[in-house]
Amino acid sequence: MQHFKKWLVILLCALFVFSMVACDKKGTNEPTDPGKEPGKVTLENIKIGFVHITDPSDQGYTYNHNLGTEKMKKELGLKEDQVINKFNTPEDQACETALRELAEQGCHIIFATSFGFEDHVLKVAKDYPNIQFCHATGFQAKTSGLKNMHNYFGKIYQARYLSGIAAGLKTEKNLIGYVGAHPFAEVISGFTAFYLGAKSVNPDVKMIVKYTGSWNDPTKEEQIAKALIDEGCDVLGQHCDSTAPATAAEAGGVFHVGYNSDMRTAAPKASLTSAIWDWSRYLVMAVNKVVAGEEIPVDWGEGLKEGVCDISPLNDAIVAPGTAEKIEEARAKIIAGDWDVFTGPLVDTEGNVVVKEGETFMEPASAPSWDHILEGIQVPKE
Amino acid sequence: MNVLNIIINWLNAAVLAGAPLLLATSGEILTEKSGNLNLGVEGQMYMGAIAGLAGAWFAEQWFGVGGMIPLLAAVLFAFIMGCISGLIYAVLTVTLRANQNVTGLTLAIFGTGFGKFFGEVLGHKAHGYVAVGAETKAVFGNISVGKLAELPVVGTLFFKYNWMVYFALIIAFVMGWFLNRTRKGLSLRAVGESPGTADSAGINVTRYKYIATVVGGGLCGLGGMYMAMVNQKGIWVTECVSGYGWLAIVLVIFSTWSPLRAIYSSIIFGGLTVMYMRVPIPGLPRAIYMMFPFIATIIVLIITSIRQSKEHAQPASTGLNYYREER
Repeated sequence: MQHFKKWLVILLCALFVFSMVACDKKGTNEPTDPGKEPGKVTLENIKIGFVHITDPSDQGYTYNHNLGTEKMKKELGLKEDQVINKFNTPEDQACETALRELAEQGCHIIFATSFGFEDHVLKVAKDYPNIQFCHATGFQAKTSGLKNMHNYFGKIYQARYLSGIAAGLKTEKNLIGYVGAHPFAEVISGFTAFYLGAKSVNPDVKMIVKYTGSWNDPTKEEQIAKALIDEGCDVLGQHCDSTAPATAAEAGGVFHVGYNSDMRTAAPKASLTSAIWDWSRYLVMAVNKVVAGEEIPVDWGEGLKEGVCDISPLNDAIVAPGTAEKIEEARAKIIAGDWDVFTGPLVDTEGNVVVKEGETFMEPASAPSWDHILEGIQVPKE
Repeated sequence: MNVLNIIINWLNAAVLAGAPLLLATSGEILTEKSGNLNLGVEGQMYMGAIAGLAGAWFAEQWFGVGGMIPLLAAVLFAFIMGCISGLIYAVLTVTLRANQNVTGLTLAIFGTGFGKFFGEVLGHKAHGYVAVGAETKAVFGNISVGKLAELPVVGTLFFKYNWMVYFALIIAFVMGWFLNRTRKGLSLRAVGESPGTADSAGINVTRYKYIATVVGGGLCGLGGMYMAMVNQKGIWVTECVSGYGWLAIVLVIFSTWSPLRAIYSSIIFGGLTVMYMRVPIPGLPRAIYMMFPFIATIIVLIITSIRQSKEHAQPASTGLNYYREER
């Protein structure tokens, strides 16, 4: 026994030394803060950093954002080592560390993709004025006074409106369920657009929203989906990260409209369509601006027209007849630009007119701000 | 929705939420009865989850059929992987006498990483979602008992579950019988209470600790498989275990180290975790609802410590490694 232990210790030591040596290579020859050596930034030498809250295996938000990264790489002809990803970064001090590491590794532009990163991005952006920081879903760039801080998002509500049409036509009980993450403007704006889409083709439709209290908790998402089905919903929508609502809908014999990714392979008998993003448009634009030495817009948010968001292919076997036509009609209306989703008259649950007839509420470019609960939508009372 | 419906559906959801907890809790009780405080249940469940899903997925690919064969593969792989995770723990704490808390926590981190890593690998292999076919989804769905499930009230309460719910119940009953009614169970409890005494009585302490920890790990693995195959319907989702491993450890305390009490406490616990989704109490914030299971655990802890009943206490040597030389 004694010998066994001794050998184990020696083996572990050897392994440890080996791993230290093996890791060391990467550490050397890193360029310093590009701000200190202002050389010409080109597509050949630009370094791009990403900070993500999870990794692509979530098959949702990060997966989809990473698809944008891959598309950007292809479009701009970037090499593998020009992009540094920091996956699974929590929204705390670790985010700041990750951002600083990216800055020190010579990134010229850094994208932080989760809402909760914003305060950390602001902090780090101050210390590296020559590096561009782009934060998704945030709202503080405008007021921060920093030239290198930018926000971006998109008019995802337009895509949600289109996906809502599929839900509104499919529901037979005129009751839609919605698995939401947090009672938060981005979510509320999303489900309101979804509901308005459904209502545009089915005036009697009602919707029940329940929150999981987490962006990514598949177990709660499944349980909430089942609770909604038990309450009689026959189409579910979602604003959370996993496929759990889709598969729960399939198991419960109802239908589902997803978010972030095409969920037809996960739930072929339930998934009607999904509202999806194409982040590459922004990434390509921002990187090109850095190379050209131009300024990145402080607040950026394009929509359906520009191809930043859309819906995934319809599941032809199960969508209600006429869905594609109705969606194309709405799409044409939105792309033409003379109409948008939040057009009045819109009345909230207390009977107040929040958008008057003939008026249209426009979301700001980044960070949605709609937080009225419309008539016909039931949210938990808190 | 009338009140009766809400309550019946809530109970149904409570049982569904409680079943994976019951499996993992039974496993953890078995482990703790041998004196090993294994805090790595979360990791063990992740390992079981990915192994079970991978087993089902590969079985579908290789044999080209869905249904029973992938189901058996999932059970087998998840159980074996859970056993391996238990074995890692047993080797480190029983043979090498590493600190139990540290080993358990490390196992939790390791197992979580293990599951996520191989989930990702599998995802690359599958070019997108790792998803089992409709037939395999169906065998993990509600069992078909014909007209019984259609019965009002009784149908929803007793016959609308997947097979693993009944399986978890059987495991808990068998475990209760084993611990309280068999000689080997008595020996195992002796090992957990006082390994020195057990050793003097001629009980092989090391063997008992190993077997209990390994089989306990296997049950945790099956609990993990429930999360992947039943909750997520055979799709790999990164966060599929969602902290249920930690809940299982809490539930061991809640059920005061008894697999039989774990049956109803897992249902209570499951019911409390899903309560906010189903039972609206006007004006009560969701954050308070979410505390319910833990408040209940604290209350149980306080009550059991006031009563100081030996029946309801943690096995005395839990968390301590046994050194024969220091008897």
